[in-house]
Amino acid sequence: MDEPKPFRATIGSDSRKEPLRVAFVTRRTSPQVKADDDLYVMTWPEGIFRALVACEVLALVLVTLSLFWDAPLEGLADPIQTPNPAKAPWYFLGLQELLHYFPPMVAGVLIPTLVVIALVIIPYFNVNIQAEGLWLRDRQKRMRIFGAVMLALIVLLLVFQVYAVLAPTLLIGGAMIYAARQSSHEGRFHRWLFHRPLSFWIMTWFLLTSSLLTAIGTFFRGPGWSWVWPWSE
Amino acid sequence: MKEEKATDQKQDDVTRRESFVKLGLGSLAVAGCGAAVFGYEFLSPNVLYEPSPIANLGKPDRFPPDSVTSDPVAGVYIVHAAEGLYALSAICTHLGCFTAWKPELGIIACPCHGSKFNRLGTKIDGPAPRPLPRLKVWVSDEGDLLVDRSTISTADQFVRT
Amino acid sequence: MAKAIEGYWNDLRDTKVWRSVFRSGSGSSTLHRSLAVQQNVFLHLASVKMRRRSLAFSVTWYLGTLTLATFLILTTSGILLMLYYHPSVPQAYADMKDLQFVVSAGVFLRNLHRWSAHAMVFLVFAHMFKVFYRGAYRPPREFNWVIGVILLLLTLFLSYTGYLLPWDQLAFWAITVGSNIMSAVPVMGAKLRFLMLGGNTVNANALLRFYVLHCVILPLVAFLFIAIHFWRIRKDGGLYSGKPEPQKAESNG
Repeated sequence: MDEPKPFRATIGSDSRKEPLRVAFVTRRTSPQVKADDDLYVMTWPEGIFRALVACEVLALVLVTLSLFWDAPLEGLADPIQTPNPAKAPWYFLGLQELLHYFPPMVAGVLIPTLVVIALVIIPYFNVNIQAEGLWLRDRQKRMRIFGAVMLALIVLLLVFQVYAVLAPTLLIGGAMIYAARQSSHEGRFHRWLFHRPLSFWIMTWFLLTSSLLTAIGTFFRGPGWSWVWPWSE
Repeated sequence: MKEEKATDQKQDDVTRRESFVKLGLGSLAVAGCGAAVFGYEFLSPNVLYEPSPIANLGKPDRFPPDSVTSDPVAGVYIVHAAEGLYALSAICTHLGCFTAWKPELGIIACPCHGSKFNRLGTKIDGPAPRPLPRLKVWVSDEGDLLVDRSTISTADQFVRT
Repeated sequence: MAKAIEGYWNDLRDTKVWRSVFRSGSGSSTLHRSLAVQQNVFLHLASVKMRRRSLAFSVTWYLGTLTLATFLILTTSGILLMLYYHPSVPQAYADMKDLQFVVSAGVFLRNLHRWSAHAMVFLVFAHMFKVFYRGAYRPPREFNWVIGVILLLLTLFLSYTGYLLPWDQLAFWAITVGSNIMSAVPVMGAKLRFLMLGGNTVNANALLRFYVLHCVILPLVAFLFIAIHFWRIRKDGGLYSGKPEPQKAESNG
């Protein structure tokens, strides 16, 4: 009946009486809220039953292992007799292998501390939260930084003769260079590699290096920590 | 007039509360530090049931001239050099493994990471950072050779024979 | 036949005694299923509903669940082993021989404990890599990742302290070398080693300290952090299933 009142927007000065709500709509945001279209199921029984099945399979495997393979038990501890070789449990053998190349302060304290710190700060790196490919932007500049870092690493590893770490480093470096190629007739794998972010490369390098070091420490080291071929026994 | 007094009272109340809070937190901090110190002292044993560092190696004439004798129980090598007797620790300086005297090679070798030492204790090979330390030796009143494994001696100290 | 058993089962669930314990009575409606989780002191750490996509095997490989399962197997087998183990020198080694040859199912329990320990370390690493490679550590789940790293360190420390307990050559020298690496820490390395071993060498004091760490202190701390880890999954919006989740309103930066 009446004419609708003209609309006027003002900003009051008393934020308690008239609170401000401001939403910044950037280029990449749609103002429409994404609806949650996930399908939800009941934890009981769907989730818990599946977890129970997984645990049962694990229990089966572990019980079978325990029934047929005995855990090792050597002679009584003797402070005077050091066994040759004296090996740590398998998850520390990678570290023990590193001790062969670097002094205890570096291999035993510095490197593990750096690894733990690196792990902890991974999710706090705001740099690549969208996980875009490493070579997507600033290709030339990143290539140069990559080249410098790789050169420094290779020189360092060669000086200390740590071939066990050099091999995965070269492999990952090669893969990164391959991923950076901008050719139109590369396949799906290349496209997938192209889109991997830096965090992927670093973590894969870490996975390969630690696996190789652990494998060497387990199978390729004998008395006096000398190199042995495991099949020549 | 009354309003002013009320606000003054309120101010006093606030500062009084602040001082009590500070006092409380301060005492808590002191108690916390005290607990930490007591905790550390508790965890650090005052009495150790470990064997005495002084070991009896027997009579000095047990050791023929120009010989290196290994005493695994004491954890030392007794070397009879031209100048006299001295003792080397048998614990590798790398990571604490027990070394072994190899008479056929004339060296002391560690099985853990391949460190090798000569009879002076100097490192010839391997990742050990320091030479094997020389330990204080002397002859007791009964004529026995004693070694103190907790005391390092200098290179010019010998037990004359 | 099955129907009859089902009938008896439902009647049991409707009795006064049963309802005094479990409250919800017979039935499998959504309400009953919600109550089964929500009113259970152990299960109510989990949410009543979860995303169906996160239940697929390829998403998580169930590695987190399996790690928890190994932890529970280790706790149970460990407690049972404790009944026959004296943490003194050289009795500990004699007890290992006892468990191997004299105690009924002793060798099985010891093997189970040992292989589960190796499995747990392996699974913990696998879980970490899987979470990383599927991006489930990104905000808002950063802090849970940090809790995970703490749990990784706790697992390794638990394994390390347990390694000494058999008091055989393998145990003694692995711990000797490890404690010497500890003394390489600058400034307080030697003091740290002295505190950890309760002495200057690996002897009876060290065995006892490692025993208390392995059986009491570390499991309690691990239990606390596991609880926080599960709680954070829930608070951060449930298991990450791989698809973009509804965002909160973006702010600057």
